[in-house]
Amino acid sequence: MMGTTSWSWREILRREGTKIVLTAISLVSFLLIWWGLSIYLESMKLSYLPAPDVVFEAFLVSLSGDPLTHNPLLNHIIASLNRFVWGFALAIVLAVPLGLLMGGSKYARYLGMPASEILRPIPPLALAGFFFAAFGVLYGPIVTVFYGVFFPVLYNVMFGVRSVDPILLDAARTLGASRLQMFGKVILPFTIPYLMTGISIGLGVGWMVIVAAEWIAAPGGGVGALILSTYTNGMYDYMFVGIIAVAILGILTTSLSRLLENKVAERMGMK
Amino acid sequence: MSILSFKNVGKVFPKDKEELVAIQNFTLDVEEGEFVCLLGPSGCGKTTLLRMVAGLESISKGAIELNGKGITEPGSDRGMVFQDFGLFPWRNVKRNIEFGLEVRGIPPEKRAETAQKYVELVGLKGFEQSHPNELSGGMKQRVGIARALANDPAVLLMDEPFGALDAQTRNQMQFELLRIWKETRKTVLFVTHSVDEAVFLADRIVVMTGRPGSIKDLWELELPRPRNRASSEFIALRKDILDELEVQKTVV
Repeated sequence: MMGTTSWSWREILRREGTKIVLTAISLVSFLLIWWGLSIYLESMKLSYLPAPDVVFEAFLVSLSGDPLTHNPLLNHIIASLNRFVWGFALAIVLAVPLGLLMGGSKYARYLGMPASEILRPIPPLALAGFFFAAFGVLYGPIVTVFYGVFFPVLYNVMFGVRSVDPILLDAARTLGASRLQMFGKVILPFTIPYLMTGISIGLGVGWMVIVAAEWIAAPGGGVGALILSTYTNGMYDYMFVGIIAVAILGILTTSLSRLLENKVAERMGMK
Repeated sequence: MSILSFKNVGKVFPKDKEELVAIQNFTLDVEEGEFVCLLGPSGCGKTTLLRMVAGLESISKGAIELNGKGITEPGSDRGMVFQDFGLFPWRNVKRNIEFGLEVRGIPPEKRAETAQKYVELVGLKGFEQSHPNELSGGMKQRVGIARALANDPAVLLMDEPFGALDAQTRNQMQFELLRIWKETRKTVLFVTHSVDEAVFLADRIVVMTGRPGSIKDLWELELPRPRNRASSEFIALRKDILDELEVQKTVV
Protein backbone atom coordinates (compact mmCIF):
# COMPACT_ATOMS: atom_id res chain seq x y z
CA MET A 1 0.00 0.00 0.00
CA MET A 2 1.18 3.51 -0.82
CA GLY A 3 2.30 5.70 2.01
CA THR A 4 2.08 3.02 4.65
CA THR A 5 5.24 4.23 6.33
CA SER A 6 4.27 7.88 6.40
CA TRP A 7 0.87 6.88 7.71
CA SER A 8 2.37 4.84 10.53
CA TRP A 9 4.76 7.67 11.39
CA ARG A 10 1.86 10.05 11.49
CA GLU A 11 0.03 7.53 13.62
CA ILE A 12 2.92 7.35 16.07
CA LEU A 13 3.10 11.14 16.17
CA ARG A 14 -0.61 11.38 16.76
CA ARG A 15 -0.51 8.92 19.62
CA GLU A 16 2.82 9.96 21.12
CA GLY A 17 2.82 13.60 19.98
CA THR A 18 1.86 15.13 23.32
CA LYS A 19 4.43 13.04 25.11
CA ILE A 20 7.19 13.99 22.68
CA VAL A 21 6.36 17.68 22.87
CA LEU A 22 6.19 17.69 26.66
CA THR A 23 9.47 15.76 26.95
CA ALA A 24 11.13 18.31 24.68
CA ILE A 25 9.72 21.19 26.73
CA SER A 26 10.98 19.57 29.92
CA LEU A 27 14.53 19.11 28.57
CA VAL A 28 14.75 22.54 26.96
CA SER A 29 13.46 24.35 30.04
CA PHE A 30 15.92 22.41 32.17
CA LEU A 31 18.79 23.66 30.01
CA LEU A 32 17.43 27.22 29.95
CA ILE A 33 16.99 27.36 33.73
CA TRP A 34 20.49 26.00 34.19
CA TRP A 35 21.86 28.58 31.76
CA GLY A 36 19.88 31.46 33.26
CA LEU A 37 20.84 30.51 36.77
CA SER A 38 24.53 30.38 35.91
CA ILE A 39 24.39 33.84 34.32
CA TYR A 40 22.43 35.23 37.25
CA LEU A 41 24.68 33.73 39.91
CA GLU A 42 27.78 35.00 38.13
CA SER A 43 26.44 38.53 37.73
CA MET A 44 25.49 38.66 41.40
CA LYS A 45 28.87 37.13 42.32
CA LEU A 46 26.97 34.70 44.55
CA SER A 47 28.55 31.45 43.52
CA TYR A 48 29.86 29.74 40.48
CA LEU A 49 27.67 27.52 38.35
CA PRO A 50 29.28 26.70 34.99
CA ALA A 51 26.99 27.32 32.05
CA PRO A 52 26.05 24.39 29.76
CA ASP A 53 28.35 25.52 26.97
CA VAL A 54 31.32 25.75 29.34
CA VAL A 55 30.58 22.26 30.64
CA PHE A 56 30.29 20.99 27.10
CA GLU A 57 33.74 22.39 26.27
CA ALA A 58 35.14 20.77 29.40
CA PHE A 59 33.48 17.53 28.33
CA LEU A 60 35.25 17.61 24.96
CA VAL A 61 38.59 18.17 26.69
CA SER A 62 37.83 15.42 29.24
CA LEU A 63 37.39 12.87 26.49
CA SER A 64 41.13 12.80 25.97
CA GLY A 65 41.94 13.63 29.59
CA ASP A 66 41.10 16.56 31.83
CA PRO A 67 43.97 18.93 32.78
CA LEU A 68 43.98 17.62 36.37
CA THR A 69 43.97 13.83 36.27
CA HIS A 70 45.04 13.52 32.59
CA ASN A 71 42.88 10.44 32.51
CA PRO A 72 40.36 10.20 29.65
CA LEU A 73 36.75 10.37 30.85
CA LEU A 74 36.07 6.90 29.53
CA ASN A 75 38.77 5.49 31.81
CA HIS A 76 37.13 7.09 34.82
CA ILE A 77 33.80 5.65 33.77
CA ILE A 78 35.23 2.19 33.19
CA ALA A 79 37.02 2.25 36.55
CA SER A 80 33.77 3.12 38.36
CA LEU A 81 31.76 0.67 36.33
CA ASN A 82 34.27 -2.05 37.13
CA ARG A 83 33.94 -1.55 40.88
CA PHE A 84 30.21 -1.28 40.59
CA VAL A 85 29.78 -4.47 38.58
CA TRP A 86 31.97 -6.54 40.89
CA GLY A 87 30.26 -5.32 44.03
CA PHE A 88 26.87 -5.78 42.45
CA ALA A 89 27.59 -9.28 41.15
CA LEU A 90 29.02 -10.36 44.48
CA ALA A 91 25.89 -9.11 46.25
CA ILE A 92 23.57 -11.02 43.91
CA VAL A 93 25.59 -14.22 44.15
CA LEU A 94 25.42 -14.19 47.94
CA ALA A 95 22.06 -12.54 48.62
CA VAL A 96 19.94 -14.71 46.31
CA PRO A 97 20.73 -18.11 47.85
CA LEU A 98 20.66 -16.64 51.35
CA GLY A 99 17.32 -14.97 50.65
CA LEU A 100 15.88 -18.23 49.32
CA LEU A 101 17.14 -20.07 52.38
CA MET A 102 15.89 -17.49 54.85
CA GLY A 103 12.56 -17.27 53.06
CA GLY A 104 12.11 -21.02 52.99
CA SER A 105 13.30 -22.07 56.43
CA LYS A 106 12.23 -20.39 59.63
CA TYR A 107 15.34 -21.68 61.35
CA ALA A 108 17.55 -19.99 58.78
CA ARG A 109 15.44 -16.89 59.36
CA TYR A 110 15.83 -17.05 63.15
CA LEU A 111 19.55 -17.45 62.61
CA GLY A 112 20.01 -14.77 59.97
CA MET A 113 17.51 -12.07 60.82
CA PRO A 114 18.92 -10.66 64.08
CA ALA A 115 22.32 -10.02 62.51
CA SER A 116 20.93 -8.59 59.31
CA GLU A 117 18.45 -6.42 61.22
CA ILE A 118 21.41 -4.87 63.04
CA LEU A 119 23.52 -4.42 59.91
CA ARG A 120 20.85 -3.37 57.42
CA PRO A 121 20.08 0.12 58.81
CA ILE A 122 23.77 1.13 58.83
CA PRO A 123 24.33 3.25 55.70
CA PRO A 124 27.03 1.64 53.53
CA LEU A 125 28.95 4.91 53.51
CA ALA A 126 29.20 4.90 57.29
CA LEU A 127 31.12 1.67 56.89
CA ALA A 128 33.10 2.68 53.81
CA GLY A 129 36.11 3.81 55.84
CA PHE A 130 36.18 0.51 57.65
CA PHE A 131 35.87 -1.43 54.40
CA PHE A 132 38.80 0.52 52.89
CA ALA A 133 40.87 -0.15 55.98
CA ALA A 134 39.95 -3.82 56.10
CA PHE A 135 39.97 -4.72 52.42
CA GLY A 136 42.36 -2.14 50.97
CA VAL A 137 41.78 0.55 48.36
CA LEU A 138 41.31 -2.03 45.62
CA TYR A 139 38.53 -4.05 47.22
CA GLY A 140 37.21 -1.45 49.68
CA PRO A 141 34.90 0.27 47.17
CA ILE A 142 33.72 -3.09 45.83
CA VAL A 143 32.78 -4.24 49.32
CA THR A 144 31.02 -0.92 49.95
CA VAL A 145 28.88 -1.37 46.85
CA PHE A 146 28.32 -5.00 47.81
CA TYR A 147 27.04 -3.91 51.19
CA GLY A 148 24.63 -1.41 49.67
CA VAL A 149 23.17 -3.89 47.18
CA PHE A 150 23.16 -6.98 49.39
CA PHE A 151 20.32 -6.10 51.75
CA PRO A 152 17.70 -4.90 49.26
CA VAL A 153 18.24 -8.09 47.24
CA LEU A 154 18.27 -10.34 50.33
CA TYR A 155 15.08 -8.88 51.76
CA ASN A 156 13.20 -8.87 48.48
CA VAL A 157 14.07 -12.47 47.68
CA MET A 158 13.14 -13.53 51.20
CA PHE A 159 9.88 -11.63 50.97
CA GLY A 160 9.21 -13.24 47.58
CA VAL A 161 9.62 -16.76 48.95
CA ARG A 162 7.35 -15.95 51.87
CA SER A 163 4.72 -14.50 49.53
CA VAL A 164 4.31 -17.68 47.49
CA ASP A 165 0.61 -18.35 47.16
CA PRO A 166 -0.09 -21.50 49.24
CA ILE A 167 -2.63 -22.64 46.64
CA LEU A 168 0.18 -22.95 44.11
CA LEU A 169 2.08 -25.21 46.49
CA ASP A 170 -1.07 -27.25 47.14
CA ALA A 171 -1.67 -27.55 43.41
CA ALA A 172 1.91 -28.67 42.80
CA ARG A 173 1.67 -31.26 45.57
CA THR A 174 -1.59 -32.73 44.33
CA LEU A 175 -0.05 -32.94 40.86
CA GLY A 176 2.72 -35.10 42.26
CA ALA A 177 5.61 -32.66 42.74
CA SER A 178 8.37 -33.54 45.20
CA ARG A 179 9.71 -30.96 47.65
CA LEU A 180 12.63 -30.24 45.37
CA GLN A 181 10.34 -29.85 42.38
CA MET A 182 8.08 -27.51 44.32
CA PHE A 183 11.11 -25.40 45.07
CA GLY A 184 12.43 -25.38 41.51
CA LYS A 185 9.13 -25.16 39.66
CA VAL A 186 7.00 -23.04 41.98
CA ILE A 187 8.95 -21.10 44.61
CA LEU A 188 11.86 -20.10 42.39
CA PRO A 189 9.84 -18.74 39.46
CA PHE A 190 7.46 -17.03 41.87
CA THR A 191 10.40 -15.20 43.47
CA ILE A 192 11.96 -13.86 40.28
CA PRO A 193 9.86 -10.67 40.02
CA TYR A 194 10.72 -9.93 43.66
CA LEU A 195 14.39 -10.44 42.84
CA MET A 196 14.02 -7.94 40.01
CA THR A 197 12.60 -5.38 42.43
CA GLY A 198 15.56 -5.97 44.73
CA ILE A 199 17.90 -5.48 41.81
CA SER A 200 16.35 -2.14 40.80
CA ILE A 201 16.60 -0.84 44.35
CA GLY A 202 20.16 -2.17 44.56
CA LEU A 203 21.11 -0.36 41.35
CA GLY A 204 20.03 2.97 42.81
CA VAL A 205 21.86 2.41 46.07
CA GLY A 206 24.93 1.07 44.26
CA TRP A 207 25.47 4.21 42.19
CA MET A 208 24.96 6.44 45.16
CA VAL A 209 27.54 4.48 47.09
CA ILE A 210 30.21 4.10 44.44
CA VAL A 211 30.62 7.85 43.83
CA ALA A 212 31.10 8.65 47.50
CA ALA A 213 33.28 5.60 48.11
CA GLU A 214 35.67 6.85 45.44
CA TRP A 215 36.11 10.03 47.45
CA ILE A 216 38.06 7.99 49.94
CA ALA A 217 40.41 6.49 47.41
CA ALA A 218 40.22 5.42 43.79
CA PRO A 219 43.42 4.03 42.33
CA GLY A 220 43.22 4.21 38.54
CA GLY A 221 40.54 6.91 38.68
CA GLY A 222 36.80 6.82 38.80
CA VAL A 223 33.94 9.21 38.28
CA GLY A 224 33.65 9.91 41.99
CA ALA A 225 37.37 10.59 42.19
CA LEU A 226 37.09 12.94 39.21
CA ILE A 227 34.28 14.87 40.90
CA LEU A 228 36.15 15.22 44.19
CA SER A 229 39.52 16.20 42.76
CA THR A 230 38.08 18.76 40.34
CA TYR A 231 35.98 20.14 43.19
CA THR A 232 38.94 20.59 45.52
CA ASN A 233 40.76 22.39 42.73
CA GLY A 234 37.86 24.66 41.92
CA MET A 235 37.46 23.24 38.43
CA TYR A 236 33.68 23.26 38.55
CA ASP A 237 33.22 22.89 34.83
CA TYR A 238 35.10 19.57 34.95
CA MET A 239 33.29 18.61 38.11
CA PHE A 240 30.03 18.93 36.23
CA VAL A 241 31.36 16.66 33.50
CA GLY A 242 31.77 14.01 36.22
CA ILE A 243 28.32 14.69 37.62
CA ILE A 244 26.72 14.35 34.21
CA ALA A 245 28.66 11.14 33.54
CA VAL A 246 27.25 9.66 36.76
CA ALA A 247 23.76 10.81 35.83
CA ILE A 248 23.98 9.18 32.41
CA LEU A 249 25.36 5.93 33.84
CA GLY A 250 22.56 5.88 36.38
CA ILE A 251 19.94 6.45 33.71
CA LEU A 252 21.43 3.71 31.54
CA THR A 253 21.54 1.11 34.30
CA THR A 254 18.04 1.85 35.57
CA SER A 255 16.65 1.72 32.03
CA LEU A 256 18.42 -1.59 31.58
CA SER A 257 16.96 -3.02 34.76
CA ARG A 258 13.51 -1.67 33.91
CA LEU A 259 13.72 -3.28 30.50
CA LEU A 260 14.80 -6.54 32.10
CA GLU A 261 12.02 -6.27 34.67
CA ASN A 262 9.43 -5.79 31.94
CA LYS A 263 10.81 -8.68 29.90
CA VAL A 264 10.75 -10.93 32.94
CA ALA A 265 7.23 -9.84 33.87
CA GLU A 266 6.12 -10.55 30.33
CA ARG A 267 7.75 -13.97 30.26
CA MET A 268 6.35 -14.80 33.66
CA GLY A 269 2.87 -13.94 32.45
CA MET A 270 2.53 -11.18 35.00
CA LYS A 271 1.98 -8.38 32.56
CA MET B 1 -17.61 -51.34 43.27
CA SER B 2 -16.65 -48.68 45.68
CA ILE B 3 -13.48 -46.85 44.72
CA LEU B 4 -13.25 -44.35 47.57
CA SER B 5 -14.16 -45.22 51.16
CA PHE B 6 -14.41 -42.95 54.16
CA LYS B 7 -14.22 -45.07 57.27
CA ASN B 8 -15.33 -43.30 60.41
CA VAL B 9 -13.23 -40.30 59.48
CA GLY B 10 -12.60 -37.56 62.01
CA LYS B 11 -10.61 -34.35 61.98
CA VAL B 12 -9.45 -32.46 65.02
CA PHE B 13 -7.69 -29.12 64.97
CA PRO B 14 -5.75 -27.92 67.99
CA LYS B 15 -7.28 -24.67 69.20
CA ASP B 16 -5.65 -22.86 72.10
CA LYS B 17 -5.56 -25.51 74.83
CA GLU B 18 -8.62 -27.34 73.61
CA GLU B 19 -9.34 -29.33 70.52
CA LEU B 20 -11.69 -28.24 67.81
CA VAL B 21 -13.57 -31.19 66.34
CA ALA B 22 -14.15 -30.29 62.71
CA ILE B 23 -15.36 -33.63 61.36
CA GLN B 24 -16.83 -36.58 63.19
CA ASN B 25 -17.81 -40.14 62.24
CA PHE B 26 -17.87 -39.52 58.52
CA THR B 27 -18.49 -42.79 56.71
CA LEU B 28 -19.22 -42.98 52.99
CA ASP B 29 -18.54 -45.22 50.00
CA VAL B 30 -18.17 -43.60 46.61
CA GLU B 31 -18.75 -45.84 43.58
CA GLU B 32 -16.50 -45.79 40.55
CA GLY B 33 -17.68 -43.25 38.00
CA GLU B 34 -20.06 -41.67 40.47
CA PHE B 35 -20.61 -37.93 40.77
CA VAL B 36 -20.94 -37.09 44.46
CA CYS B 37 -21.59 -33.62 45.84
CA LEU B 38 -20.69 -32.66 49.39
CA LEU B 39 -23.16 -30.01 50.45
CA GLY B 40 -23.23 -28.16 53.70
CA PRO B 41 -23.11 -24.85 55.54
CA SER B 42 -19.79 -23.03 55.63
CA GLY B 43 -17.53 -24.35 58.34
CA CYS B 44 -18.96 -27.85 58.19
CA GLY B 45 -15.62 -29.24 57.12
CA LYS B 46 -16.48 -30.22 53.55
CA THR B 47 -13.37 -28.57 52.13
CA THR B 48 -11.26 -30.11 54.90
CA LEU B 49 -12.69 -33.49 53.97
CA LEU B 50 -11.74 -32.97 50.35
CA ARG B 51 -8.24 -31.84 51.33
CA MET B 52 -7.89 -34.99 53.42
CA VAL B 53 -8.67 -37.08 50.36
CA ALA B 54 -6.10 -35.05 48.42
CA GLY B 55 -3.54 -35.75 51.12
CA LEU B 56 -3.09 -32.06 51.86
CA GLU B 57 -4.56 -32.45 55.33
CA SER B 58 -3.83 -35.19 57.85
CA ILE B 59 -6.55 -37.61 58.93
CA SER B 60 -7.04 -37.47 62.71
CA LYS B 61 -9.33 -40.48 63.10
CA GLY B 62 -10.45 -43.36 60.92
CA ALA B 63 -9.18 -43.82 57.39
CA ILE B 64 -9.82 -42.82 53.80
CA GLU B 65 -9.08 -45.54 51.29
CA LEU B 66 -8.65 -45.21 47.57
CA ASN B 67 -8.90 -48.58 45.82
CA GLY B 68 -8.43 -50.21 49.21
CA LYS B 69 -5.24 -48.33 50.00
CA GLY B 70 -5.12 -45.84 52.86
CA ILE B 71 -4.36 -42.24 51.94
CA THR B 72 -1.38 -40.71 53.72
CA GLU B 73 0.02 -38.11 51.36
CA PRO B 74 -0.74 -36.25 48.11
CA GLY B 75 -0.42 -38.25 44.92
CA SER B 76 -1.14 -38.03 41.24
CA ASP B 77 -3.91 -40.65 41.59
CA ARG B 78 -6.08 -37.84 42.94
CA GLY B 79 -6.56 -34.67 40.91
CA MET B 80 -7.68 -31.49 42.60
CA VAL B 81 -9.44 -28.44 41.19
CA PHE B 82 -9.34 -25.31 43.37
CA GLN B 83 -11.84 -22.52 43.78
CA ASP B 84 -9.17 -19.89 43.06
CA PHE B 85 -7.79 -21.95 40.17
CA GLY B 86 -4.22 -22.20 41.52
CA LEU B 87 -2.75 -21.87 38.03
CA PHE B 88 0.94 -21.08 37.66
CA PRO B 89 0.91 -17.53 36.27
CA TRP B 90 4.30 -17.87 34.56
CA ARG B 91 3.24 -20.96 32.62
CA ASN B 92 1.03 -20.81 29.57
CA VAL B 93 -2.06 -22.99 29.25
CA LYS B 94 -0.20 -25.91 27.71
CA ARG B 95 2.60 -25.86 30.26
CA ASN B 96 0.15 -25.56 33.14
CA ILE B 97 -1.62 -28.69 31.91
CA GLU B 98 1.74 -30.42 31.47
CA PHE B 99 2.88 -29.70 35.03
CA GLY B 100 1.80 -33.03 36.51
CA LEU B 101 3.27 -34.99 33.62
CA GLU B 102 6.48 -33.00 33.84
CA VAL B 103 7.07 -33.68 37.56
CA ARG B 104 6.35 -37.34 36.98
CA GLY B 105 9.09 -37.50 34.38
CA ILE B 106 6.96 -38.15 31.28
CA PRO B 107 9.05 -37.40 28.15
CA PRO B 108 8.29 -34.08 26.39
CA GLU B 109 6.69 -35.53 23.23
CA LYS B 110 4.27 -37.66 25.24
CA ARG B 111 3.57 -34.70 27.50
CA ALA B 112 2.70 -32.43 24.60
CA GLU B 113 0.45 -35.08 23.11
CA THR B 114 -1.44 -35.67 26.38
CA ALA B 115 -1.70 -31.94 27.09
CA GLN B 116 -3.15 -31.34 23.64
CA LYS B 117 -5.75 -34.03 24.21
CA TYR B 118 -6.95 -32.31 27.39
CA VAL B 119 -6.72 -28.83 25.87
CA GLU B 120 -9.21 -30.05 23.32
CA LEU B 121 -11.35 -31.89 25.85
CA VAL B 122 -11.94 -28.72 27.86
CA GLY B 123 -12.45 -26.61 24.73
CA LEU B 124 -9.34 -24.45 24.90
CA LYS B 125 -7.95 -25.17 21.45
CA GLY B 126 -6.17 -22.05 20.18
CA PHE B 127 -5.33 -20.85 23.69
CA GLU B 128 -2.39 -23.21 24.30
CA GLN B 129 0.12 -20.36 24.37
CA SER B 130 -1.97 -17.95 26.45
CA HIS B 131 -1.01 -17.15 30.00
CA PRO B 132 -3.60 -17.37 32.80
CA ASN B 133 -3.83 -13.58 33.15
CA GLU B 134 -5.09 -13.43 29.56
CA LEU B 135 -7.99 -15.80 30.30
CA SER B 136 -11.46 -15.26 31.72
CA GLY B 137 -12.46 -16.97 34.98
CA GLY B 138 -14.30 -19.74 33.17
CA MET B 139 -11.35 -20.42 30.90
CA LYS B 140 -8.98 -20.44 33.87
CA GLN B 141 -11.04 -23.15 35.50
CA ARG B 142 -11.06 -25.11 32.25
CA VAL B 143 -7.28 -25.10 32.51
CA GLY B 144 -7.58 -26.17 36.16
CA ILE B 145 -9.76 -29.11 35.17
CA ALA B 146 -7.53 -30.12 32.26
CA ARG B 147 -4.44 -29.91 34.46
CA ALA B 148 -6.01 -32.17 37.09
CA LEU B 149 -7.23 -34.65 34.45
CA ALA B 150 -3.92 -34.82 32.59
CA ASN B 151 -2.52 -37.05 35.33
CA ASP B 152 -5.40 -39.46 34.66
CA PRO B 153 -6.34 -39.59 38.36
CA ALA B 154 -8.72 -42.17 39.81
CA VAL B 155 -10.82 -39.43 41.40
CA LEU B 156 -11.32 -35.79 40.60
CA LEU B 157 -11.65 -33.61 43.69
CA MET B 158 -13.34 -30.27 43.11
CA ASP B 159 -13.40 -27.64 45.83
CA GLU B 160 -16.16 -25.16 44.95
CA PRO B 161 -14.57 -24.90 41.53
CA PHE B 162 -17.13 -22.46 40.14
CA GLY B 163 -17.49 -20.39 43.29
CA ALA B 164 -15.40 -17.55 41.88
CA LEU B 165 -17.40 -17.32 38.66
CA ASP B 166 -20.42 -15.21 37.75
CA ALA B 167 -23.80 -16.96 37.65
CA GLN B 168 -23.97 -17.31 33.87
CA THR B 169 -20.44 -18.66 33.48
CA ARG B 170 -21.11 -20.94 36.40
CA ASN B 171 -24.11 -22.55 34.72
CA GLN B 172 -22.17 -22.93 31.51
CA MET B 173 -19.26 -24.54 33.33
CA GLN B 174 -21.62 -27.00 35.04
CA PHE B 175 -22.80 -28.10 31.60
CA GLU B 176 -19.21 -28.43 30.45
CA LEU B 177 -18.21 -30.38 33.52
CA LEU B 178 -20.98 -32.91 32.95
CA ARG B 179 -19.88 -33.31 29.34
CA ILE B 180 -16.25 -33.85 30.44
CA TRP B 181 -17.36 -36.23 33.16
CA LYS B 182 -19.36 -38.24 30.62
CA GLU B 183 -16.38 -38.42 28.26
CA THR B 184 -13.80 -39.38 30.88
CA ARG B 185 -16.06 -41.42 33.20
CA LYS B 186 -14.13 -40.12 36.20
CA THR B 187 -15.27 -40.44 39.77
CA VAL B 188 -15.98 -36.91 40.97
CA LEU B 189 -16.15 -35.58 44.51
CA PHE B 190 -17.50 -32.06 44.32
CA VAL B 191 -17.74 -29.62 47.22
CA THR B 192 -20.32 -26.86 47.02
CA HIS B 193 -22.58 -24.81 49.22
CA SER B 194 -25.03 -24.24 46.39
CA VAL B 195 -28.04 -26.56 46.52
CA ASP B 196 -28.88 -25.63 42.96
CA GLU B 197 -25.44 -26.65 41.75
CA ALA B 198 -25.55 -29.94 43.66
CA VAL B 199 -28.98 -30.86 42.30
CA PHE B 200 -27.90 -30.01 38.78
CA LEU B 201 -24.72 -32.07 38.91
CA ALA B 202 -24.84 -34.97 41.34
CA ASP B 203 -25.73 -38.62 41.25
CA ARG B 204 -25.72 -38.42 45.01
CA ILE B 205 -25.74 -35.49 47.40
CA VAL B 206 -24.18 -35.79 50.83
CA VAL B 207 -25.81 -33.19 53.10
CA MET B 208 -23.56 -32.40 56.00
CA THR B 209 -24.32 -31.10 59.48
CA GLY B 210 -22.69 -27.99 60.92
CA ARG B 211 -19.56 -28.33 63.02
CA PRO B 212 -18.57 -30.97 63.86
CA GLY B 213 -19.32 -32.05 60.30
CA SER B 214 -20.86 -35.41 59.72
CA ILE B 215 -23.41 -36.84 57.33
CA LYS B 216 -26.89 -35.59 57.95
CA ASP B 217 -28.59 -37.08 54.94
CA LEU B 218 -27.90 -38.76 51.61
CA TRP B 219 -29.93 -37.97 48.50
CA GLU B 220 -29.95 -40.29 45.51
CA LEU B 221 -30.88 -38.30 42.43
CA GLU B 222 -32.79 -40.19 39.78
CA LEU B 223 -33.44 -37.13 37.60
CA PRO B 224 -32.25 -37.80 34.05
CA ARG B 225 -29.61 -35.52 32.55
CA PRO B 226 -29.51 -32.91 31.14
CA ARG B 227 -31.50 -31.62 34.05
CA ASN B 228 -33.92 -28.80 33.61
CA ARG B 229 -33.68 -26.23 36.36
CA ALA B 230 -37.24 -25.08 35.61
CA SER B 231 -38.82 -28.55 35.87
CA SER B 232 -41.10 -29.20 38.81
CA GLU B 233 -39.03 -32.20 39.99
CA PHE B 234 -35.89 -30.09 40.04
CA ILE B 235 -37.53 -27.29 41.94
CA ALA B 236 -39.17 -29.66 44.42
CA LEU B 237 -35.92 -31.47 45.10
CA ARG B 238 -34.10 -28.19 45.50
CA LYS B 239 -36.67 -26.99 47.98
CA ASP B 240 -36.56 -30.18 50.05
CA ILE B 241 -32.78 -30.08 50.37
CA LEU B 242 -32.81 -26.36 51.03
CA ASP B 243 -35.36 -26.88 53.81
CA GLU B 244 -33.12 -29.50 55.32
CA LEU B 245 -30.22 -27.04 55.33
CA GLU B 246 -32.35 -24.19 56.64
CA VAL B 247 -33.57 -26.21 59.61
CA GLN B 248 -29.99 -26.87 60.44
CA LYS B 249 -29.04 -23.23 60.27
CA THR B 250 -31.56 -22.28 62.94
CA VAL B 251 -30.31 -25.09 65.14
CA VAL B 252 -26.61 -24.33 64.77
